[in-house]
Amino acid sequence: MLYRTAGQFKTSYTADQALFPIRQDAYLLGIILIFAWVVFPLTASEFTFQTLLIPILIYSLAAMGLNILTGYAGQLSLGTAAFMGVGAYACYKMVTIMPWMNPVVAILLSGVFSAGVGVAFGIPSLRIKGFYLAIATLAAQFFLVWLFEKWAWLYNYNASGAIQVPNLKMFGVYIAGPQADSMIQYFVVLGIVTLLTLLCINLTRGNLGRTWKATRDMDIAAELIGINLMKSKLTAFMVSSYVVGVAGALFVFMWRGAAEPNLFDIPLSFRILFIAIIGGLGSIMGNYLGAILIVGLPVVLNTLPQTLGIPISSAMVEHLNIMIIGSLIIFFLIIEPHGLARLWALIREKLIIWPFPY
Amino acid sequence: MKRFTRLAAAAVIASLGAGTAIAEGLYTPNLSYRTGPFAATGIPLMNGQADYMAMLNARDGGIGGAMIDFEECETGYSTEKGVECYEKTKGKAIVTQPWSTGITLQVLPKTNVDEIPILAPGYGFSPMADGKVFQWAFNIPAGYWDAADMIVQYIEGQGSLDGKKIVFLHLDHPFGKEPLPLMESLAEQKGFELVPVPVGLKEMQNQSAQWLQIRRERPDYVVMWGWGAMNAGAITEAVKTKFPMENMLGVWWAGHDADLKIVGEDGKGYKSISWSFPNADAPVMADIKKHVVDAGNSQSNEEEMSGVFYSRGIIISAILGEGIATAQKHFDTAEIDPGQLRWGLENINMTEERISELGLDGMVPPFSTSCSNHTGHSGGWMLEWDGEKFVKVSDLLTANVDNYAELIASSASEYADANAPWPVNEDCEG
Repeated sequence: MLYRTAGQFKTSYTADQALFPIRQDAYLLGIILIFAWVVFPLTASEFTFQTLLIPILIYSLAAMGLNILTGYAGQLSLGTAAFMGVGAYACYKMVTIMPWMNPVVAILLSGVFSAGVGVAFGIPSLRIKGFYLAIATLAAQFFLVWLFEKWAWLYNYNASGAIQVPNLKMFGVYIAGPQADSMIQYFVVLGIVTLLTLLCINLTRGNLGRTWKATRDMDIAAELIGINLMKSKLTAFMVSSYVVGVAGALFVFMWRGAAEPNLFDIPLSFRILFIAIIGGLGSIMGNYLGAILIVGLPVVLNTLPQTLGIPISSAMVEHLNIMIIGSLIIFFLIIEPHGLARLWALIREKLIIWPFPY
Repeated sequence: MKRFTRLAAAAVIASLGAGTAIAEGLYTPNLSYRTGPFAATGIPLMNGQADYMAMLNARDGGIGGAMIDFEECETGYSTEKGVECYEKTKGKAIVTQPWSTGITLQVLPKTNVDEIPILAPGYGFSPMADGKVFQWAFNIPAGYWDAADMIVQYIEGQGSLDGKKIVFLHLDHPFGKEPLPLMESLAEQKGFELVPVPVGLKEMQNQSAQWLQIRRERPDYVVMWGWGAMNAGAITEAVKTKFPMENMLGVWWAGHDADLKIVGEDGKGYKSISWSFPNADAPVMADIKKHVVDAGNSQSNEEEMSGVFYSRGIIISAILGEGIATAQKHFDTAEIDPGQLRWGLENINMTEERISELGLDGMVPPFSTSCSNHTGHSGGWMLEWDGEKFVKVSDLLTANVDNYAELIASSASEYADANAPWPVNEDCEG
């Protein structure tokens, strides 16, 4: 009923290929965007900004970067966190060497460095596939974290070996560092995430996206129909690492405020891989759903006993939390192995034919 | 359905009850880590802290008539959770206790904006001693540079250090790297050779490579800056390689009873510097037993309560309690705010008399803080493992703070510059 498609006729190819062939999808997105841009900033507390909204957006972006590589181009990567680290350290070096630089420009540029590193570590993908490639990206993970620790120039020879985000201004207001207001940081993150999401959607729908999918589905067949595998795989590594690098810069500059090398260690890579897998490989929306489940839900569950007034120790809540999230992950993967995005697609299909299923 | 209604009603009533309980008293949250990889060391500390506050609430009705709302927020030692807890608690809190070097580093710049005192007893960032720059941060009663200085002093007490070789076995992490600049300058002054041996976070439990290197180096002493699983790993490895245990010394976080119980008799002679000591005969222990343990409100047990870490938890809460009491007396109000607590923490004067008044005899050395001295530099005792427990083997050692006052000042101003604009305390004299 809500999703009735009757009466929505397509009269041209352009209309048929539009981003939202069904009008209700566009409405839904509009509502979500109104919430993200207007309602949340007006109502959210600082706690909500700092523990829910900003991290969910940043994790979604990182997962989206990984999803381009793993979900669209079929190249399994375990080095996401290290590429995030490259973005973060590049951004840190840029703003400390050139303090006059616009921070948003620095964040967007820092992705270029991680894209370069990503392509370098993507070269083995031309020869090796699947699990073997995963091991090669794992090497990137270990090597880069080691480099962040040992190369003191990267953290400006700081005695503690950590990077601290300085207070950065843009147009007269602080947008990064401890003086920055959460709402402004949220808008910066939201702006960049919206921009890159738009970019990713269009890339994956376009020519490049089709070559990636062809490479993923069967690389020999793709090669036979004339797709340049080297170009396809390396562009996937490049775009993916760029997005991941920007996510890493946002992660440190817009949210954490400080970072030590082991922050970018393998647990973070796995976390982002889980978001991408649970959200749904080969989908853009899935990254958001995955991040809400893996990043947002534990925070909500943590505050639940207190708001309900259930007297329960904080350590117990933590244990329960781990159990609940774990079982939810298993539950969702059993009812829909292709992830939350696929689950939503099924629900939507059912809604379209409701109430007369065939 | 009926049962559900009843449950819902119970929840509503409980929330009302909880709501009224929170409204009163001083909210001093603790970012605890009873879960995660460091839980084994966290639990006794957290229990000590909680039990002392529970004892004050039961015995005296809180501090100065205000009940202490000592709530834990579990972080599992994860920085991300730590920041979440900080954001969650900062609205009502008069103090924040971050409990990990990583969380401290994240929270430190924020507390300066939110104006909440950050109490990091014996951990965190050594330059926090400079109270003029770090207005809101306290690492009472001693910092890592104090610890390094005292350990070197103690070794020097056994003979000149000239030409000796000291291995500095440390966690490759901000915590472990922190004393390096001081150790290097001490090596230059005293003429010993310093060999830093880092232990990566992934190698904590398997240090065979590091100990192979130590065997090759044949050092006179091993100074260990370890934490969590690293300590047990190093101690068992030292026993295995037959390193003379009396020449191995650790920082206060490397003196956990459970780590040494693994090796027992073989660990005899191992030393750890400490600003806290478990004194089972101290009046405070009897009070805790009477008001908290016997009332069934403690999560601790007999064995844990006799250990070094439990008593350290007590001392940490006692320092906070003393800061609150000082502030209450000065501002003549029971319900103090964060700014007033900062004044209190800056004006603690823990004399021998005050220590025995609080019933903490022999558990903490005397110290005093000021607006420019946010550490107190209490000094500490060298504790030695006698095969069953830690015993004091030295008189009170005090750190030679003048020797590195310049290092503190320069590191502090470096931090302030990197984080400009960083408001400093202009009113503070000397």
